[in-house]
Amino acid sequence: MAINTGTAEQTAQERPMAHLKHYFVSSDQQFDAAKLGMWLFLITEILLFSGMFVAYAVYRVWYPEVFAVASTELNPWLGGLNTVVLLASSLTVALAIHAAQTDNRRALVTNLFITVALAGVFMVVKYFEYTHKFHLGIFPGGHFAYAEMDQPIVPIFFSIYYVMTGIHGVHVLVGMGVLSWLGARAIRGDFHSGYYTPVELSGLYWHLVDIIWIFLFPLLYLI
Amino acid sequence: MKGHHITPRRTLLKVFAALVALTALTALTAQIDIGAFNIPLALAIAGTKALLVVLFFMALKYDKPVNALFFGLGILFVVVFLTFTLFDTAFRGDLGNVGEEAFFNTEGAEQER
Repeated sequence: MAINTGTAEQTAQERPMAHLKHYFVSSDQQFDAAKLGMWLFLITEILLFSGMFVAYAVYRVWYPEVFAVASTELNPWLGGLNTVVLLASSLTVALAIHAAQTDNRRALVTNLFITVALAGVFMVVKYFEYTHKFHLGIFPGGHFAYAEMDQPIVPIFFSIYYVMTGIHGVHVLVGMGVLSWLGARAIRGDFHSGYYTPVELSGLYWHLVDIIWIFLFPLLYLI
Repeated sequence: MKGHHITPRRTLLKVFAALVALTALTALTAQIDIGAFNIPLALAIAGTKALLVVLFFMALKYDKPVNALFFGLGILFVVVFLTFTLFDTAFRGDLGNVGEEAFFNTEGAEQER
């Protein structure tokens, strides 16, 4: 690893423009094009989640009292904890980008891996929430078997809950993978103030995952 | 790269503090029953938090305007999606609540017959 770091450092110093594709005029142009593409991708992500938010809104308008009862089964303390954990991970990603911009490789690596660790905490809390519900018999869709809430629309609330938090959780797992990969590349010395596009774009993705949860927390846990 | 805005660390920490404070605020206001205002308040707080993340963590405030344009258009279509769906689903019950007597047992209808 140490040898690799050394050679990568040399390459970055000898060829600081190695990242520039021949079809772009400058680093800045390449960076701006990549960023616009990322925003476009984020819009598709927002629209993916908006379908679920609309389903939520439709059923909540139809059955407000069922949503109020069913949501009492969710633990707002765990939801709140996970909100703060994700907000903190957003901060560390922003600090990682700050570190890349100021050529502070040590801070970049540290902040990237703290972010991965916080995402891990989020998933562990989610795991306990899910297993607790499975234990009670709260399964999505037709497998719902929770005797204490044996009312018609309650399973739909939990189906919405599972699909929304589930797809959000998949995004957290993807983010953990991407950020770990970036951490490894940062150790290798791939990023510097002249080139940190992957860190910037992954940061945008991670903030979006955070924003989705910012809306999920009050809508699911705090009815 | 020259010309890239570097958000100061202090700004990032302040935004984080504001986000945590708003999280506490939304958890507290959810305990108080203010009837129909609970949902708009919760959404307003969540919207403010999202805006803070977008403007400062995602640095859209300092970014090229074209990125904000793309993002704004995306949000616009989410709003269209949501409101136009609710125009349908939220008012379906109004027709379903109309009983038979509304059509046949009114006095005016009796006289006309």
